[in-house]
Amino acid sequence: MEATCPECAASVALPADTLESEIIVCPECGAELEVVSLDPPALALAPEVEEDWGE
Amino acid sequence: MEHESLALLEALLHIPSLSGQEAEAAAFLVDRMAGYGWEATVDAAGNAVGLVGHEGPLVVLLGHIDTVPGAIPVRVEAGCLYGRGAVDAKGPFATFIQATRRAELAGRLRCRVALVGATEEEAASSKGAHYVRERYAPAYCVIGEPSGWNRVTLGYKGRLLVHYRLEQASAHSAGELPAAPESLVAFWREVEAHCAAHNAGRERLFDQLIPSLRQVASGGDGLTDWCTATIGLRLPEGIDPACLADDLRALAGAAHVRFEGGCPAFRSPRTTPLASAFLRSIRAHGGQPAFLHKTGTADMNVVGPAWNCPIVAYGPGDSRLDHTPNEHIVISEYFQAIEVLAEVLGQL
Repeated sequence: MEATCPECAASVALPADTLESEIIVCPECGAELEVVSLDPPALALAPEVEEDWGE
Repeated sequence: MEHESLALLEALLHIPSLSGQEAEAAAFLVDRMAGYGWEATVDAAGNAVGLVGHEGPLVVLLGHIDTVPGAIPVRVEAGCLYGRGAVDAKGPFATFIQATRRAELAGRLRCRVALVGATEEEAASSKGAHYVRERYAPAYCVIGEPSGWNRVTLGYKGRLLVHYRLEQASAHSAGELPAAPESLVAFWREVEAHCAAHNAGRERLFDQLIPSLRQVASGGDGLTDWCTATIGLRLPEGIDPACLADDLRALAGAAHVRFEGGCPAFRSPRTTPLASAFLRSIRAHGGQPAFLHKTGTADMNVVGPAWNCPIVAYGPGDSRLDHTPNEHIVISEYFQAIEVLAEVLGQL
């Protein structure tokens, strides 16, 4: 399986045991990407890390 | 199951459990967990511990059962459950119990689960977490703190408490010697300046060194004047508590300074199977997931560096209600969090 990095348009190989919502790192640009679909394979930027008060 | 979940949390909120006084709450939880057929006990640190399952990777669900002071009448109003600890953090620990039960009853547990309702998280000692840190080596860990049902916390800032005390011979207020409170104010300004210098160019709160003046007192008996203060500091990554303590000691002049509760910031990556399992489950329940870095400190700071496993903090509730007189949890969100976590446990 291969999908396209939404950040740099590189082709990213996905192992056969990849799961939806898995977060991977683009080998070209280092962006952290969420596997949002397996059929067809599709990637999106991983959810942002926000800041929050507390504890 | 929802009635049982609500009853559990409501009963737990009725039991006062200030830090160091968790015995009744721990006994209650052990009784409830044993009632599910789980191996349940109060350990040597006073933690309420439940063990479920005999095979698979070990998952530690580490919450805390102590609360800050301030009794809030336990009541249900407009779909919300009020009570001290509803958010921080009895709600999240009740979520752990009910999610584990739900996954077990559904036949989906393929992991071993150790549920730990820890003592003294709200104290600088973090007694319960320090105890379990040496006794488990989990494959995954979830810390029980409020993130909101559709968000997952990946990191917490570090902490250092500074106890300042200056004593000096009494002198006339018209004299040249600064009064003890004036020296404290000068020290506080030095601390603020030290932090400001570190924070220059750093916009994210998680990256900043943030001081808070938490307590001040002064007095004298005619021969000696004194001033005491407690200053809390929230540490970003890269600030070592011991090194910071050395810097602050150098700023304190003749005052005696004592340090407590020092721990560095800790952050887990979002590329772990555990973080992905939460994303998958939150999306499956119709949520739009997000990750969080928190400005506070939690038991993740204690166990995270030692266990070196995938770790997140999760639980229902709005952490802006932590430690407030308005502390409450939205009941429907509590149920959602139980479903999300049960789904996560079924994936591990």
